[in-house]
Amino acid sequence: MRRIIGIGSRFVPRDAAGPKVCEQLLAGTLPDEIEVIDGGLGGIDLLRFMENTERVVFVDSVEGFAPPGQLVILTAGEIATAASGYGHEAGLPYLVRVLPEVCPPPCPEVLLVGVEGPPSDRLIHSAARLALRVALDDKPYGQKTRGCPA
Amino acid sequence: MAPPKKLNVPLNRVEGDLEIRVEIEDGMVTDAWCSGTMFRGFERILVGRGALDGLVITPRICGICGTCHLTAASRALDMIADVTPPPNATRVRNVALMSEHIQSDVRQTFLMFAPDLANPAYEGCDLYPEIRRRYEPFKGETVLEVIRETKKVPEVIAILGGQWPHSSYMVPGGVVSLPTNGDITSCQFIIERYRRWYEKRILGCSLDRWRRIRTAADLDAWLEERDEHRQSDLGLLIRFSRTVGLTKIGRGHANFVSYGALDTPDERQPAKPGSDGFFIPAGFVRGGVPHPFDQQRIAEHVAHSWFEDYDGGRHPAAGETTPYATGDEGRKYSWAKAPRFDGLPAETGPLAEKIVEGDPLFTDLLEQAGPNAFLRQLARAVRPVSLIPQIITWLSEIDVNEPFYATPGEIAAGEGYGLTQAARGALGHWVRIVDGRIAHYQIITPTAWHASPRDSAGIRGPIEEALIGTPVRDADNPIELGHVIRSFDPCLVCTVHTVGRGQLFGRSTLDV
Repeated sequence: MRRIIGIGSRFVPRDAAGPKVCEQLLAGTLPDEIEVIDGGLGGIDLLRFMENTERVVFVDSVEGFAPPGQLVILTAGEIATAASGYGHEAGLPYLVRVLPEVCPPPCPEVLLVGVEGPPSDRLIHSAARLALRVALDDKPYGQKTRGCPA
Repeated sequence: MAPPKKLNVPLNRVEGDLEIRVEIEDGMVTDAWCSGTMFRGFERILVGRGALDGLVITPRICGICGTCHLTAASRALDMIADVTPPPNATRVRNVALMSEHIQSDVRQTFLMFAPDLANPAYEGCDLYPEIRRRYEPFKGETVLEVIRETKKVPEVIAILGGQWPHSSYMVPGGVVSLPTNGDITSCQFIIERYRRWYEKRILGCSLDRWRRIRTAADLDAWLEERDEHRQSDLGLLIRFSRTVGLTKIGRGHANFVSYGALDTPDERQPAKPGSDGFFIPAGFVRGGVPHPFDQQRIAEHVAHSWFEDYDGGRHPAAGETTPYATGDEGRKYSWAKAPRFDGLPAETGPLAEKIVEGDPLFTDLLEQAGPNAFLRQLARAVRPVSLIPQIITWLSEIDVNEPFYATPGEIAAGEGYGLTQAARGALGHWVRIVDGRIAHYQIITPTAWHASPRDSAGIRGPIEEALIGTPVRDADNPIELGHVIRSFDPCLVCTVHTVGRGQLFGRSTLDV
C-alpha cells in the first residue's frame, strides 16, 4: 500500500493545491495499491496514516523552491528542515521530523510534491500525475530538490 | 529616564500570528502589548449563509479543537430551535468534547510548555539533564511518547462522529450518528488504555490517589510519598517549576471566568448544587469571591483593535466585525477584540475552571501564591484526572436503543447563543437567524479573552498584565516571557500551513 496525502485548506486559494489534487485523483480510477487521503491541515494527527505503508507522497503548496508554476519533489530531509518546534501551527515539517522516532516500524519513505505559485487547473493536473508517478515507481529520490516543469 | 531599549528578538514556539511587545527596565517587564496579527473574519464569512452552515464552517476555525466550535454552534441552534437533545446525544457530545480536551491538555503540557524548560538558560540546575532527556524538542523521551500515546484519542470522536478533525455530526436536536455497542466498546478501550498510560507515565499514581490531594501540604506530601510520584512527568514538572521560579511569574489580573460546560444528561448523575446542570460549572471569580455567570454581562471592546470604533463595549449579540486597519495606528494594535465580563478582563481555561468550581487544591495553591505560570500549567496537566472517569461513565450510559436526536423543525428565525468550555477556556457563539439565513454571528474564543489588547478604559488584557513584573535575565533568550505566555496556551492560527524555504514556524517578534 502506498498513500498520496493532500495538505492544505480549500478555503485559502494559495494553499489549496493539496485538496485540489486529491479531488482530481479521487475523481479518476486509481491503481489498487494507491490510497488517496485529503489530509487537510493535519500535522502529527496524520501519524496514523504513516503506518502500514511503504511510501507516502504528500502534495502541498510550497514557497521558494522553484519559480511559480513549477512543481518540485522534496525529500523527507528537506521537509524536516522547516520544523522549528511544536505549536498549534506545527504541521507537516514537525511530523516528518519526528516520524522515524514515533512511527511503528517499518517507517515509510516520505516525499513531497510541492506546488509553487497559484494552483491553476493545469498545474493541479500536472501535480496529480506527478504524485501518482512518484507514488507508484520504485525510483530512489536523492537529497537534492528537483525542479519539475509542470 | 532613558527610553526603553528596543530589540527584535524571536520568541520561538509562540503562535505564528501572535506578536508580543514588551518594555523592560532594570531587567523587568514594565509594560506589554499583545497583538493578533491575522484577520480571519469567520463572522463575516457566515453572514448570509444557511442557518445550519455554522455547523460545517466553524469547526474549521481550529484543527485542534474543532469539536468545541461544533458544540457551541449546535447549542446556539438548539436554543433557537427550542429543542432539547435527548440524553444519549448529550452523552455523545460530552464524550467527544472531553476526548479532545484530554489529548490537548497532555500535548500542550509536554510538547509545548515543557520543551521551554529544556532551554539552555537552565543548564546550571541539578534537574536540567533529566529535563533535557525528557523534553528536548523532537528527541525527548516524553515528547516522543506523548506523540505516540495521544494519537489514538481522537479516534473516539471519529467513531462517534464519523470524522476528526472538523467534524459536523452535532446538529440542533442531538447528533446524527447512531453508534453501535461495538463502537462504544471501541471507545471505552481507547480511553481505558489512555487512562492506564496517563496514570503510569504522567501522574505516577492512580487517578484516585491524585484526587485525594486537597491542599498545598497534601501536594508536598504526595511528592515525598513515593519515588514514582517524584519521577513521574508531573512530579518532575512540579519540582523543576519550583526550582526555576515559575510559581513567581505570570500573576495577571486574578479574575477568572468559566461559561460552564458538559450538560448533565439526566437524573442518573445529578449535577452538583450550584453548577447550573454542568459538569464544569459556570461562574466568575474576582479577588477570590465567586459571582454568578450571566452571558449578558459579556462585552467586547475595540478601542485598541483594528475594527471600526464604537463607544465602550458591546454585547456579542450586538457586536460587529468590521475591519478598520487604517488610522489610529498608534492606538490600535491588534486584530483581536477585548472581551470583558462586567467590564473586567478575565482569564479562562483549566485554572479558571478549578477556581470557579471551588476545587480545594487549586483554591489553596491560589491563596498561597496567587495566579502564576506554574499553577495554570498544573491545572491543565491534571484536568484529565476529572475528565477521564466521566468519559468512561458517560460512554457506559449510552443506550443504543434510545434516541440520539429530537426533531427540531425548521429553523427560520430567532436568536440564540451556544456557550461551552474549549480546551483553552470559554468559547461562545452568538447567532441570529432571519428568513432561514444567518444574519449575525459573533464568536469569542478563549484566546480572545487571553490575548486581548487594552479595552476602552485602557486596561490591559490578561497576557499583557501577566507579563508585568516578569524578570528577563537575558534579552537574547527571554525564556521567562515564553513560560508566562505559554501558560495561557494561546491559539491564534490554524490556517495556512505551507512549507517555505528557510521558514521558521512560530517565529514571533518581541520588542524588548
